Amino acid sequence: MTAPALEPWEVFRQEKDGDPMRHGGSVMAPDAELAVHYARELFGRRQESIRLWVVRRADIHDLADPDLLQPPLDRSFKKPGGYVMREKLAAAREQSGQEKPQAKSR
Amino acid sequence: MTTSSPDLLPATRNAVSLLLLAMADDEFVIGFSDSEWTGIAPMLEEDVAMSSLAQDELGHAQALYRLLAEVVDDGRDADAIAYDRPPEGYYHARLLDHPRGDWADAIARRFLYDTADSVRLEALAESSFVPLRELVAKLRREERYHVMHVSLWFERLASTHGEPRRRLIEALERLGPDAATVLAPLPNELAMVMAGIVSVASPELEARWRAEIEPAFDRLDLPMPPAVAEPDSARTAHSEAFRRLWGEFTSVRRAEPGATW
Repeated sequence: MTAPALEPWEVFRQEKDGDPMRHGGSVMAPDAELAVHYARELFGRRQESIRLWVVRRADIHDLADPDLLQPPLDRSFKKPGGYVMREKLAAAREQSGQEKPQAKSR
Repeated sequence: MTTSSPDLLPATRNAVSLLLLAMADDEFVIGFSDSEWTGIAPMLEEDVAMSSLAQDELGHAQALYRLLAEVVDDGRDADAIAYDRPPEGYYHARLLDHPRGDWADAIARRFLYDTADSVRLEALAESSFVPLRELVAKLRREERYHVMHVSLWFERLASTHGEPRRRLIEALERLGPDAATVLAPLPNELAMVMAGIVSVASPELEARWRAEIEPAFDRLDLPMPPAVAEPDSARTAHSEAFRRLWGEFTSVRRAEPGATW
């Protein structure tokens, strides 16, 4: 057995019962056991966490493709709030030369 | 059941004082020695981990010195007991008298010490001296992680052939003969067993410790620590290396005796 190389591990932590697991940061370690120990040292030894998840970074499936995640066409009608009107209203106002109505003072 | 220090019988009180002094000095000296790795450990994450272990031990020493100050009740506080003694007045085990050495020495020393210490703490878990029992319950929760962590390194060094294994074996040859000094008999310990302060005497503690570590030593094909030579001086007659360490850890305190920090 030769000494294994260090690799990065991502650490997720839960602060209190019912909270979601949130990304805390990463540690370098040669294997899962030491990665868990180092995660404990950096993200859990001051009672700041009640649970840690430690994931080998290489095991994470990464998706950062803008064609898939940031489609160029307006799909705001798919959102629960419906169309985003701000830009369309601004364009209509500009065409008709109207000022943006001010909020009425009471 | 003894709920507070003044209720201890005089003979038991002396024995308990020496037990607390032995435990506190052990934690203090290993804590200070391991803190010497801060900044120079083999990798950054381990630097943090080792420093945190060292800090834990100093915290344990402080809690034990505080209890000792209550038991002895001679006007000295925890800091006075920790720092205001000459080197020959310290009562830690000879295992902790070795110089820092290399990383294998640090891991071997910690493995031998932490496994022995956990056997000692287990025998105090049901102590009739309530303040000690309550403190031991807290110490055991932190020491559990210490054993887990050092065991990982111990196994990795032992099973990585070449330099890591060679250095670990050399460290065990240096430290092994003094390993069982942590569990060497203390004066009047029979009085403590009779009073239910500690559940068993030191020969039984050492037997339990050997049974505990033997499977790992067998599996990793490492030499088991031999019996201690000169057990009577297991906690006295300290080394030159300890005198140097003492010179460092008392230097600030000695620079301005009586100062309020």
